Amino acid sequence: MGSITLKDIRKSFGGVHVIHGVDLTIEKGELVVFVGPSGCGKSTLLRLIAGLDKPSSGAIEIDGRDVTRAGAADRGLAMVFQSYALYPHMTVRQNLSFGLENTRMPRSEIAARVADAARMLEIEELLERRPTQLSGGQRQRVAIGRAIVRDPTAFLLDEPLSNLDAELRGTMRAELSALHDRLATTMIYVTHDQVEAMTLADRIVVLRKGRVEQVDTPLNLYNRPANRFVAGFIGAPNMNFFPAVAEGGQAALPGGVQVAVAASGPVSFGIRPQHLRLAAPGEAGIPARVTLVEALGAETVLHARSDGDTDVLVVLEGQPELQRGQELALAFDVEHLHAFDAQGQRID
Amino acid sequence: MENEIAQVKATAAPEGSDRRLRRLRDRLGPLLRQVVLLPLVLISRAIDPVMRLIQAKAGTGGMIAVFLIPNMAIFGIFVIIPIILNFVYSFTGGAEILLDQRAWVGGQQYERLTDCQNYLDPLSCREDLFWRAAHNTFFFVLFQVSLMVSVSMITALILNRNMAGRGFFRAVFFFPVLLSPVVVGLIWRWILQREGLLNLIVTNFGAERVVWLNDRFYAFAAAIGVSTWAHMGFFTLILLAGLQAIPKDLYEAAEMDATPPARVFWRITLPLLGPNLAVVLVLALIRGVQIFDEAYVLTGGGPGTATMFMTQYIYEVGFASLLRNPGLAAAASILMGAVLVVLTLMQLGLSRRAEKARER
Repeated sequence: MGSITLKDIRKSFGGVHVIHGVDLTIEKGELVVFVGPSGCGKSTLLRLIAGLDKPSSGAIEIDGRDVTRAGAADRGLAMVFQSYALYPHMTVRQNLSFGLENTRMPRSEIAARVADAARMLEIEELLERRPTQLSGGQRQRVAIGRAIVRDPTAFLLDEPLSNLDAELRGTMRAELSALHDRLATTMIYVTHDQVEAMTLADRIVVLRKGRVEQVDTPLNLYNRPANRFVAGFIGAPNMNFFPAVAEGGQAALPGGVQVAVAASGPVSFGIRPQHLRLAAPGEAGIPARVTLVEALGAETVLHARSDGDTDVLVVLEGQPELQRGQELALAFDVEHLHAFDAQGQRID
Repeated sequence: MENEIAQVKATAAPEGSDRRLRRLRDRLGPLLRQVVLLPLVLISRAIDPVMRLIQAKAGTGGMIAVFLIPNMAIFGIFVIIPIILNFVYSFTGGAEILLDQRAWVGGQQYERLTDCQNYLDPLSCREDLFWRAAHNTFFFVLFQVSLMVSVSMITALILNRNMAGRGFFRAVFFFPVLLSPVVVGLIWRWILQREGLLNLIVTNFGAERVVWLNDRFYAFAAAIGVSTWAHMGFFTLILLAGLQAIPKDLYEAAEMDATPPARVFWRITLPLLGPNLAVVLVLALIRGVQIFDEAYVLTGGGPGTATMFMTQYIYEVGFASLLRNPGLAAAASILMGAVLVVLTLMQLGLSRRAEKARER
């Protein structure tokens, strides 16, 4: 139970197209993360799955059943809202049991489920408090608890951690991951934070401007991004790009390094900051001048400018001694180079 | 390239007359402003030395008093002193207006007002009109406030939905609030009187004409209906503001939980609207007790004393009747004022509680 299929989903709000035909299959028990910059349509897509909005065209199936025209109540899904959406005038216990009371479930069963969820989320002492008397992290737990007690087909989480401070976010992320392992229920998780996406997801759906750019496992996205957008979006700091012109299966990077590429015409090469290193004496590299050195202790982030005025980021291990204005050459291994054609698509 | 050309064209277009006009406006604007502000500037320059002198004498603390004096003077002359005078008048007797010609009678006026064998039967009271007015006001408030709160609640709920022409309907429901109560009374009298609009419609359908305002029941109902119509826009507005302050995602959470609409209303909307509803209830109570102008213009208190309310009683006893008795009217005002003070304190307490609830 818990597979979700989207077939050519489109959505427009009064003439503005927000989702341009999304096809996606989410397997039972999977944790899928929708990630993308703000305005990419990830929350809209989640609301369409939830049934809070209806798609302009296309179909949504849950466990093979077409629910495109079904209301949110009839889909058996539970949602955790970014704002938590806890009922402020009810205690935590009432918040947790409110949804169950709608189903005419026996009182004893409701009490048992609330007790189970409270134990699982360690909020047993908070049951008689109101949401206003809770901290952000506690509210977050209650919001998740309200979803858990319903025992839904799938969980939908809309940026659930974005209102928490960085430390708490890390803790909650780990707990959510553990929770998913324990419940083994399908989860769809929306975030703009690629670190959250990378750490939580079984598969990541990268969205941009209402289109799916790539769907894959976190490491596949990192190692083999399908296009320049995904390459730039996944991984921190961002990937460096160098424009070049390919001719006769060869292209030259700044500094004259020749690279084989199966294309001709304008192309671009991407390389992650972690995959650049200082060239050994006599080794060919991209010439660059240091503009800023950020020593973080374990690693050093180097901002540099290469020939052709391209800004380059380099992450070096340890604490190399470098000064602003210093000229140096940046070397790399060819297997770490990503090539993209003029349209930004990956060239293998 | 084409885009660039288009951009150049777009910026080049205002180069001619448009730009000259704009330059003229930019120069004329400040000049005009200076001319308009000149009197103000002159006045403040003239006042400045005087104020500096006062400040030097009074100090910063004293200046607070200086700035409060004009307002306090007006408030004192038109509110505080009349209240005190009214209180003093309530212990005097006779028909004279000036206080020094009036005789001190102690608590006699209050005794007269409260001299009753059975408070539930106005006719058993010495001042039966006072008790008739009190009874009428009580029932008026009871029915009018219930009607007002439920009608404005329903209207607010409807206007809160995403419907076509929402702005238009919000305006329509608010317009009566802008009318003067006398105008409201007149409009409805034209509709309800013997040769009025309503009877024209009724007789057109072949039914018998009803003399609405000469019937005890209809006249009382008309007073309730007309004052509700006149004021509901205001209360609808307060409730609408409260409804819009309820976060939308609470309703979405309820939708995900398959909550039936009636349960959403009783368990989510109503409790969260509680503070606004309490304010509306008490304000409606206060206004209901004070009912006078639109009802007086509409029915004149009739037929008989069927729609005579407390304020009208005070007005007639104090000023309008042949046997005027300012002392009795003053005593009745004090009693009515006591009821209003209790209601106002309730309102203050409730709005303070609502404020605290919002802060939490």
